[in-house]
Amino acid sequence: MRIAILLLLIVSLLAPPSSHAADRVVAATLDNGLRVLLLEDQRSPIVSFQVWYRVGSRNEHRGSTGIAHFLEHLMFKGTPSHGPKQFARLVEENGGQDNAFTSQDVTSYYVDIAADKLDLVIDLEADRMQNLLLDPKAITSEREVVIEERRTRTEDDPGGFLGEEVSSIAFKAHPYGAPIIGWMDDIKRVTPDEIRAFYKTYYVPNNAIVVAVGAFRAADALEKIKKRFGRIPRGKVPPPMLAVEPVQNGERRVVVKKQQAELPIVYMAWHVPNQGSDDAVALELLSTILSGGRASRLYRDLVYQRQLALEAGGDNSYFSIDPNLFWFWATPMPGQTPEKLEAELSLHMERLKTEPVTEEELARAKNQIEAAFVYQEDSVHQRASLLARFEIIGGFALKDSFLAKIRAVTAADLTRVARTWFAPDKKSVGVLLPKS
Amino acid sequence: MGARVVLRASQVGRALALACAVLLASFMARGPAGAAPLAHREVLPNGIVLLVAERPAVPIVAVRVLGRAGAVYDPADRAGLANLTGAVLTRGTAKRTGPELDSAIEFVGGSVEAGTGRDTLIVSMTAQKKDLTLGLDLVSEVILTPTFPEAEVARKVSEIQAAIKRSEEDPGTVAARALGRLVFEGHPYGRPVEGTRESVARLTRDDVVKFYRERARPDTTIIAVVGAVTVDEARREILARFGSWSRPADPPATVPAASAPATVREETVKRELTQTTIMFGRQAVGQTDPDYFPMAVGSYALGGGSASRLYTRVREESGLAYAVYSWVAPWRLGASFAVSAQTRTAEAPKVIAMIREELARMGREPVAERELALAKQYLIGSFPFRLDTSGKVADFLVATEDRGLGLDYADRYKERIARVTAADVQRVAAKYFAPASFNLVIVGETK
Repeated sequence: MRIAILLLLIVSLLAPPSSHAADRVVAATLDNGLRVLLLEDQRSPIVSFQVWYRVGSRNEHRGSTGIAHFLEHLMFKGTPSHGPKQFARLVEENGGQDNAFTSQDVTSYYVDIAADKLDLVIDLEADRMQNLLLDPKAITSEREVVIEERRTRTEDDPGGFLGEEVSSIAFKAHPYGAPIIGWMDDIKRVTPDEIRAFYKTYYVPNNAIVVAVGAFRAADALEKIKKRFGRIPRGKVPPPMLAVEPVQNGERRVVVKKQQAELPIVYMAWHVPNQGSDDAVALELLSTILSGGRASRLYRDLVYQRQLALEAGGDNSYFSIDPNLFWFWATPMPGQTPEKLEAELSLHMERLKTEPVTEEELARAKNQIEAAFVYQEDSVHQRASLLARFEIIGGFALKDSFLAKIRAVTAADLTRVARTWFAPDKKSVGVLLPKS
Repeated sequence: MGARVVLRASQVGRALALACAVLLASFMARGPAGAAPLAHREVLPNGIVLLVAERPAVPIVAVRVLGRAGAVYDPADRAGLANLTGAVLTRGTAKRTGPELDSAIEFVGGSVEAGTGRDTLIVSMTAQKKDLTLGLDLVSEVILTPTFPEAEVARKVSEIQAAIKRSEEDPGTVAARALGRLVFEGHPYGRPVEGTRESVARLTRDDVVKFYRERARPDTTIIAVVGAVTVDEARREILARFGSWSRPADPPATVPAASAPATVREETVKRELTQTTIMFGRQAVGQTDPDYFPMAVGSYALGGGSASRLYTRVREESGLAYAVYSWVAPWRLGASFAVSAQTRTAEAPKVIAMIREELARMGREPVAERELALAKQYLIGSFPFRLDTSGKVADFLVATEDRGLGLDYADRYKERIARVTAADVQRVAAKYFAPASFNLVIVGETK
């Protein structure tokens, strides 16, 4: 969960808002279904150009997990007109930075580059949306890279390993239970044909969002995007993901021993609704009250006052497409047991159900979320990412109502939401035990 | 709003490259000819250097206060003292307890943090413009009137010890720590910033108080104020809080620059892991040495990006690693150059051999024109993104000032990088990339 903690910080910075921000977004849907969001930001001569595909590990099946992420790697392996390695080379020799990530819900590619290179990036991204080589030899060697990545992130990382185990017991039916990077045997097995079929199915303009923020004229940029991406034919509507996670009946638990671990870790996870529910913003606030900074409950009590934990926190997945998990975690200090920390985390959860949070806690959490929105406005990359995240869950304009929803939450709402969602017999618990 | 994601490139590599690049690479300090410099600079009467960059578009302000109080100044038997001092600095002032301070800044969604590195202790503050007064009040209290409460020192000692213990499970941290010791043997840079569990156990509140009294002084302090603020406003607010901080009569104690150890060594740390972490390292030169610029270009061509030689050969062509990269890390009193990779244990010897071959090839033959152009254009052209937020600008300003690189460093850097030739890269690589001159640390399963 250390990765998740880091990402919590990153993603909170993605929050934007200034009520005026969305007003200036130029939004269009091309004839082939490609969604385009453009926002002018003339402060520096730079642009962040991002392509988000509505496909992630959520769209995978048993036996071929990790295919979305594997494909993300292969998107850098060339097309007939831009051969292997040309993508990175062209971007770097034009002073740009590029990368990509795969999540449960999306696969996202970005190039941050000087604004006068926008044509180049549009050309590269449009090309690989349609013409990826997927050469079997490249797949063979990249498979080994992905396997190494899995070793780094999961096999040799106790926190990553435990997180994967907990997700897999929390979800019985829904693909969120499988790791984004895939199970090792699936990574080893998946065939070039399956990857090609996955690409053909999901990498179609009507399943993608192009977002750009930076120093361009939106009308010009839109014309360029239409000209280049507009040529790509609309694809079939990708198959819907139909799995629904049944209600959890009874606590689930996994205990993992890792020889290389120095300290135990405790994870607790509850199923919570996604942003479509009125409870979602309250869960955001709960997560902030529990672990947003050193004045937050878990830090102040478990880390600071009683020194039971080296770190502790809680994390909600607000932008999740389907209902996902609300996580609690703690790393016990040497001499403390995971049992003790699990009991303490449970007490905090119970307290949320019985005592309203204080006015100060609620106001602080609201102010923290609001400030994070303002900080995010400082970077074109973050501005673009946030527009895309809201677009994925229903429309970029949702970002303007998000803060109003946050402000409307009361202490009584938090109590009700905690009682509704955090039943003791509906949790999944993971414990990592170190050597000896 | 957490989301778990998996990135294509090595996050570690990118983060390292970025951290180094912020310190060393070029950037658009000036825009087109005639544009204003990146920041206003002035020296206050008590010796504080004040740097102000106005970025009015977004209503936030980032402040950095840099003090020359890094781990390099730890007494030999007190490794970790500077780091402990930084950790306790925000844990109590004459006016507020640590929790009161946390509550005050977090109530407005801001942050005040102190962080210690090899050379410096930096207090960072971020707040919305409307909360600037509060933020600066807290920063000045932390810098000028810290109380270092006994109980807080004890808390941090056990936290740091636990964090050190936990970091032993991370092979990258274990390797970097061992490599630092080999590369800077005999110099304080060879000691870990956080100390060891044993050295930290010996530290007392008296040590902290004495260290801070000796190291915190206005004439070695640099303050950057960046964001929705004017120069006049920043000067007024900083003078009001720091103007009466008096400068001691004696000059601050100094530490000599690092010199290369007589021998290079190999060290293996056994861990039961599926991968082996490989880290090569040696001393190098910093930005004040003319060799630095060809070295930066050479390092980028060797292992800096996804078009580099190591990335191409080890990752793309051989599928032997997810993370493989090289980087130059300049400090105030020395510099290091390192190459790192993680690979499945059985292939570690092969990857070690590949890295050695590529290091040697850099000195044996000139880089191709296209590789050279790519590295130079990337280093020059990507810089605006490293200065695209107020926080990043503030970090850059205090770092370049501390190294004495001057406000025109960005321009000079760009110009120096642009002038680097393939012959320069080869000459510098022959001098610094010779495989036999590297220390090597291996962390993982061993036979």
